[in-house]
Amino acid sequence: MSDQILGGPEQTIRQKLWQIHWFFVFIVMVTASVGFAMLYSAGGGDVNPWARPHALRFGFGILVMICVAVIDTRLWLRYAYAIYFVVLLLLVAVDISGNMGMGARRWINVGFINLQPSEMMKIAMVLALARYFHGGSIEDVRRPTFLISPLLIIAAPIVLVMRQPDLGTGLILLITAAGLFFMAGVSIWKFTLVGVFGLAAAPIAWQFLHEYQRKRVLTFLNPENDPLGAGYHIIQSKIAFGSGGLSGRGFMQGTQGHLNFLPEMQTDFIFTMLSEELGLIGGLALLALYVLLLVYGIAISFRSRSHFGCLLGMGVTTTFFLYVFINMAMVMGVIPIVGVPLPLISYGGTAMLTLLFGFGLLMGIWVHRDVMIGRRGAADDG
Amino acid sequence: MAAAKSKTTGKSTRKSSGARRIEGARKQAMETGRNRLLVTGIVLSLAFAAIGVRLVDLTVFQAGGEPRLAQIEPNPEVASGRADIVDRNGILLATSLPTASLFADPSAVLNAQEVADKLITELPELNRQELLGKLKTKSRFVWITRNLTPKQHYKVNRLGLPGLGFQRGERRVYPHGRLAAHALGLTDVDGRGIAGLEQNFDRALRAGNRIQVSLDIRIQSMMRQELAAAVREFRAIGAAGVVLDANSGELVSLVSLPDFDPNEPSSAGPETAFNRVTKGVYEMGSTFKLFTAAMALDSGTVDLNSSYDASQPIKISRFTIRDFHAKNRWLSVPEIIVYSSNIGAAKMAVDVGTKTQRDYLDRFGLLRPAALELPEVGKPLVPKRWRKINTMTIAYGYGIAVSPLQLASGVAVLVNGGRYVPPTVLKTVAGNSSTGKRVLSEETSELMRGLMRLVVTNGTGRKAAAKGYIVGGKTGTTDKLAVRGYRKNATLSSFVGAFPMNAPRYIVLVMVDEPKGNKRTFNYATGGWVAAPAVGRVIQRMASLIGMAPDRQPEPAKVPVKKPMIKASTPPKASPGISKRKTAAAPPPAPITVSRASPSPAPRRNDSAADETLMLQRVRAVLDVRDKKSEADAVGPPEQALATY
Repeated sequence: MSDQILGGPEQTIRQKLWQIHWFFVFIVMVTASVGFAMLYSAGGGDVNPWARPHALRFGFGILVMICVAVIDTRLWLRYAYAIYFVVLLLLVAVDISGNMGMGARRWINVGFINLQPSEMMKIAMVLALARYFHGGSIEDVRRPTFLISPLLIIAAPIVLVMRQPDLGTGLILLITAAGLFFMAGVSIWKFTLVGVFGLAAAPIAWQFLHEYQRKRVLTFLNPENDPLGAGYHIIQSKIAFGSGGLSGRGFMQGTQGHLNFLPEMQTDFIFTMLSEELGLIGGLALLALYVLLLVYGIAISFRSRSHFGCLLGMGVTTTFFLYVFINMAMVMGVIPIVGVPLPLISYGGTAMLTLLFGFGLLMGIWVHRDVMIGRRGAADDG
Repeated sequence: MAAAKSKTTGKSTRKSSGARRIEGARKQAMETGRNRLLVTGIVLSLAFAAIGVRLVDLTVFQAGGEPRLAQIEPNPEVASGRADIVDRNGILLATSLPTASLFADPSAVLNAQEVADKLITELPELNRQELLGKLKTKSRFVWITRNLTPKQHYKVNRLGLPGLGFQRGERRVYPHGRLAAHALGLTDVDGRGIAGLEQNFDRALRAGNRIQVSLDIRIQSMMRQELAAAVREFRAIGAAGVVLDANSGELVSLVSLPDFDPNEPSSAGPETAFNRVTKGVYEMGSTFKLFTAAMALDSGTVDLNSSYDASQPIKISRFTIRDFHAKNRWLSVPEIIVYSSNIGAAKMAVDVGTKTQRDYLDRFGLLRPAALELPEVGKPLVPKRWRKINTMTIAYGYGIAVSPLQLASGVAVLVNGGRYVPPTVLKTVAGNSSTGKRVLSEETSELMRGLMRLVVTNGTGRKAAAKGYIVGGKTGTTDKLAVRGYRKNATLSSFVGAFPMNAPRYIVLVMVDEPKGNKRTFNYATGGWVAAPAVGRVIQRMASLIGMAPDRQPEPAKVPVKKPMIKASTPPKASPGISKRKTAAAPPPAPITVSRASPSPAPRRNDSAADETLMLQRVRAVLDVRDKKSEADAVGPPEQALATY
């Protein structure tokens, strides 16, 4: 179907499968195995309650990733806005159902799985922005009016997500979008202007933050002020890093984690547990895996011959990077605690699925790297 | 990339001028895009590098409080003749027995089937399949089983099988099983101390120096029984108990539940091996009001006539300080303690002043890790910057976390005449207990004794009363911190008591972790309902053991104290005479007849040499039947166990 509409050189499914960057997939699998091991440890040396579901979800996620990878990039371009609006509607639905007191505000239950539209939005927004900027020339980008629509594309989901309230997702959406604007060629002085306004508006924004969110920011500024209250988690986390030292206390031997000094060790604080049990060496090894994934992500985006592919790839890579960075920086006390999981390691299905879907898009960009796409979505004649 | 660029350029020149302009513009957009992309990539990578640097900083340079590298001591030599550890009365707590371990040289085994069959008749715990596998390996050496008892050694030797051999070794044995597990600690398979006293005095023990500790295993047994009963009754997750000699700082009992059996090192998991008494630090709650009152009285900020307005909760920044047993009126200093008023304590602490408060707490030994002869000593959690709000919450024991041991030795200062004596697990030489730094005046200490007594006669600690003994103390109930910083319905209930209050000798502390109320306690799980009765029972039992005669007459101090104290709505006039009247009225205490230096050994059993022989016999017997006997048997009170042999 796609070849008639979009034209261009076509590959068969078999060729596409062959084209997938299998080394990248391998690194993803190694990383997820580390996650499996850590969840096994967090479960007290048992595959239940965390490690087994983690493995099952990962298996499912890898299948999704491969399916996404063989779908033509042009198809994603074509349906980018449609996907965005559907996810936006879901977000609105979650917001309304939450307001009407119909249960949790972050999920929509569709029978077999709990959908978390805020997670899906991370991909949908990147798709929509990549499509928008793909269709504009450098002169277009210089016109301020050209930027109104993409700003709306960003603002709508961020407002909805912050209302949930989910500061971490809001932050990821905002920074990813800023990154895409930057890569699309929006001039630096516009960023500066927004930055200045942002700083000026910070005191006003402060009023709108929830009490617990404010407390987290204040605690971040000085955790030792309140060692038993809000500063407790970050102090315990830092103690755990020190306890791990160079080579760690040994697999399943972490005292901070296993004695429940560490909060949420199976989700947000899993990197702390890993560093306590496997030490600096383990922590750096995991970081190296992530850096490898990041570098491949950037290289693949770079290699794409279409502007859409470039932006989409970098958007996905940025999202991935932000997950890792925010999580690690938060457990090490570099930034306030915002509740972001560690990709492929933390327990939790939706974030992993989002990420593997994103990696699927990235693989798709690699598979279709030589496909040129014209500004209106038609194949380039070259 | 450069190649791709030149190719595109070449292509565009062949197009029409209009198309070229569009092409050119698009190419420029692509170029800007690619440069920007590169910048983004570099920024992301730099951010990761920063994370890596921070990781190194946290793990290696900040070392989170525990210097790991310094602890690693290479010690290859095989331990031999590790010395015994005995309790204060000379009862054996840990000893080393010569043992034999069985190995095989598979190449010298003639018939693996036959050897396996015969071995299993003598050592039925062996697995036949596993044994056959071992006997058929290619190597020249394989362990069959370790630490045979002398009887097993003899029997296997008598089988006369070629290819089997014995390795002489030594095995560390703890005759009392889990009774003093946390104090004694553990040794590894090579006989090196890896926890507790075994680790701390590893060198001395290996050099053959016997260690005599301050524990009294009989009191230890009573404390453990009462704690275990409380844990069972209130379905708690753990408990801690301390008996401390208020004058010498000796720890007479130290119990942490759940515990482990040092004879079975595998039972020492992270939960069970955790020493709640010395390593765990907890927010202690209302028991801290004693310190607040003591420093206020001692610094002259208040006297017993002073009173505070506790009719309104205090609002400070985003906190509100309320009372649990709210009286909604002015309260005198004794009433603040007796009714456990948070508002009153907070106001009193503000009057004392932040600096003075910190000074006193430091001298009570609450701000620094206790200098105890155990490796498992927890560091108290203390606010780094001490603001007014900290002063107020610390006044009633929130916002500061100390170990139960620190609390007990701080309370010792309050009642022993005002001297801080560092706690110790070693038996001190008799008569050497006069050392210690003065923290409070004798007069303040006397007033504090009166206040603590009031809590038990008239206040929240009534269930700690022990018939015939003058007990004083203070309850504490705190909400535990929950995972995400919210407080859930989990509490830490404690009672710290002292007796006899007219001349205090012992501090008894019981803390129960996450107790759940039951029908008998009307669903209360507070210190007064959970921990106080346990302290009362421990005192009741140990007092008769150490030869302290109960005072059969009703205590005269109780009656005159009660009325003016509780009924007075304008308290000041009622209070002044309390402690004086009380101490004046108290009868000359019976316990004075007991020697002050140490608890005297129980009558009839003061021949420690004979005890030791008996214990050794028991040790061997226990070893013989170790597998069959349930742990409960091994844990029972030593007196009872001895009586059966």
